[in-house]
Amino acid sequence: MAKKSSRRDFVKRSAALVAGAFVLPQILPSSAFGMGRRIAPSDRIVMGSIGTGSQGMSNLKDFLKLKDAVQFVAVCDVDKLHLAVAKETVDLANKNSDCRTYDDYREFLEKEKLDAVSIALPDHWHGIIYSAAANKKLNVYGEKPICRTIKDGQTIVSSVKKNNIIWQTGSWQRSLTNFHRGAELAINGRAGKVKYIEVGLPDGNKGIGTPPVKPVPPELNWEMWLGPALKVPYRGVSHWDWRWILDYSGGQLTDWAGHHIDIANWGAGLEHTGPVEISGAGVYPVEGIFNVPVEYDFLCKYANGIEMRVANASRLPLGMGTTWHGDLGWVHVDRGDIISASDPKILNEVIGENETHLYKSENHWQNFVDCVRSGKPAIAPVEVAYRAISVALLGEIAMTTGQTIKWDPEKEEIIGNPRATRLLSRPYRQPWILPTV
Amino acid sequence: MKKQYLLFIVLAGLLTFFCACKNETAYKTLIITGQNNHNWKASSPVLKQILDETGLFSSEIITTPDKGGDMKAFNPDFSKYKLVVIDYNGDSWSDKTNNAFVEYVRNGGGVVLYHAADNSFPSWKEYNEMSGLGGWGDRNQKDGPYVYYKNNQLVTDTSAGNGGSHGKRREFLVRTRITDHPITRGLPEAWLHGTDELYSQLRGPAKNMQILATAFADSAAGGGTMRDEPMLMAITFGKGRIFHTTMGHADEGGGPSMHCAGFIITLQRGAEWATTGEVTQKVPWDFPSSAGVVLRSDFKELTLEEAITNIGSYDIVKSTKNLSYLQNKIRSLAGDEQGLLKLEKMMVKVLTGKETTIEAKKLLLRELSWMGSDYSVPAIKALESDAELKDEAEFALSRLQTK
Repeated sequence: MAKKSSRRDFVKRSAALVAGAFVLPQILPSSAFGMGRRIAPSDRIVMGSIGTGSQGMSNLKDFLKLKDAVQFVAVCDVDKLHLAVAKETVDLANKNSDCRTYDDYREFLEKEKLDAVSIALPDHWHGIIYSAAANKKLNVYGEKPICRTIKDGQTIVSSVKKNNIIWQTGSWQRSLTNFHRGAELAINGRAGKVKYIEVGLPDGNKGIGTPPVKPVPPELNWEMWLGPALKVPYRGVSHWDWRWILDYSGGQLTDWAGHHIDIANWGAGLEHTGPVEISGAGVYPVEGIFNVPVEYDFLCKYANGIEMRVANASRLPLGMGTTWHGDLGWVHVDRGDIISASDPKILNEVIGENETHLYKSENHWQNFVDCVRSGKPAIAPVEVAYRAISVALLGEIAMTTGQTIKWDPEKEEIIGNPRATRLLSRPYRQPWILPTV
Repeated sequence: MKKQYLLFIVLAGLLTFFCACKNETAYKTLIITGQNNHNWKASSPVLKQILDETGLFSSEIITTPDKGGDMKAFNPDFSKYKLVVIDYNGDSWSDKTNNAFVEYVRNGGGVVLYHAADNSFPSWKEYNEMSGLGGWGDRNQKDGPYVYYKNNQLVTDTSAGNGGSHGKRREFLVRTRITDHPITRGLPEAWLHGTDELYSQLRGPAKNMQILATAFADSAAGGGTMRDEPMLMAITFGKGRIFHTTMGHADEGGGPSMHCAGFIITLQRGAEWATTGEVTQKVPWDFPSSAGVVLRSDFKELTLEEAITNIGSYDIVKSTKNLSYLQNKIRSLAGDEQGLLKLEKMMVKVLTGKETTIEAKKLLLRELSWMGSDYSVPAIKALESDAELKDEAEFALSRLQTK
């Protein structure tokens, strides 16, 4: 506590020094004082939040639980109702009414001086806002999947690397014991050398037909919600249900890729590469505005011979979750603390000192905060998240085109297929552009 | 004048000749109806239309005498037909007719049993062997076991109880159980059926019967057995083959159950198998999936030309079915450059059409953005100056020019 007051003194002194030149906000990020990006353990990390819908609020609350570690000072959303709830939550935690609100992320990034930002937006916004936050040198806790297209992902990864910020993806399964343990058993060959992986993601969502066009509710800035996506009339579908519409998401497949595909990659050493061949098929609705595949099933082949099948859960023998099949058996993990194996003895195996020990985190949000302080990489770094969602996006392209896709995971290019190549990116509606790195 | 007249005669003659040929090659089919606890006046013409639509069948409808009428008068010559479709649930036929029908099937005649036909003739032994399973008409344990799936296992259940029940009508998921039968080959594992009665608790001799598809009778809609009940069955009797569909409860004009593309296509395939033992029909693009029910407004498969023309009149309150058709077509043409170019030309024709709506143009521009070629570029460039289409035209051009 003594140290905490000393920081306040420091702030006061600094403020006194520059008083008259300009007025400082009440809370200053530690990084504003020429300390570099490292933040003393005693200092609270100053944060803001962009996107305060369901997942944004969930993350905000998880961060607020770490009350001695972070302090939120500003929130941003295109829905005034979301914004009001977020401000109320932050003010309650801070025991004041100072939380600043923004309806435009550009103004938020311009005015706020922060250490880190938590971002949870529909996928079609990720490319622009993740890159913009990185370019502002903010450390980012960003929701999965990190991009809607491969090109968006490449830009985000480059922006994060160039600006040397700490990045944590919201792939929080990595910070749970069963997923960590399963991946560690797999990567250390406890089921034998991994040859084949099955990844089961949720079955598709039922359609809602074609709802009539409605007036945009006064609290929602629809134009800003759409942002770089093509303009469409408002039909009462925005928050949450954007994930059933291809303009904004690839459905359950892309929504969950950042979980079970990410875990699959972790336990198979595929975190920094991608498949070389992808083929499969999806079942698409015939009617209605929800147009993501309700069933999907595709196979990815890797250069080292590993194959990964990704499908909606009811098509797979073990359903939801990740299953690594080795030449000696299999290991399976899923939510609900599930971990199982072809032979229960596998689950009691001890991983020796000289074997591979995967990054250990007990709390995904704490891990981010710790890394912002230490400058070390977080457990779910950006390029790893990009490789996880790439699998789903390439699967999506294979299903859209009806073709087997050849992918060069080094150059990150589709080989010999100009039509499929066009699907690697998506033009933005003017005036929006992907920030340059 | 004289020459033209002669030409007309020749053409008319040729046309008659071809029509006659077509009729001769089609399998002669007899649809029997006339009594039913269902609206047979609505269902039988629909059955005829569905079968004749394939070009494989040439069917005629025969009606029995009314209830209580003299069945001696009902005496069709089954041997003239390759297929007999039963849309009948009523008085017993004469012994002579029954025997003739049994002979017909024994000798290899094809049969389709449709919906309430499996309610009919509870005490006619051979007929029940043909249907495999039946319901109502005081059917119980004396008539044979219940047969159904439970937890993905085929169950033959001899417990006592009445045969036949159904809950409230609703849409339900039909699950293909045998995927390598000619009727079901190429069908999805599961598909959503239009609002219908879900026949449950059928029981019967169940001899020489394969259950091709089932539906789970959940209890949410009432009357559910919590079993996967048989929906489509393939049965053999002597040399004859019987296709039994429990679906298709008819409303005036057919109703959603008969307009369902899944009902129509399985009936067409089942009828061909019953007739020849093989199925030559391809599974049409609009076969439903688990994603949603597909209703055919006039029982016909949409053609590509129709779909693309229909897209031209799309507006934001209309169905996107035609677009889905186009997207499916693009997928199915993967790798076929000539086919894709032909399709692209059709799309551009609608894109530049005077009658085409703005919303339709937006849809087409999105598809052309990735599947198009240089051929589309001038037409798309011309739309850039249109304030309402500027965004979509730029989107398409930008993507088409991705290197």
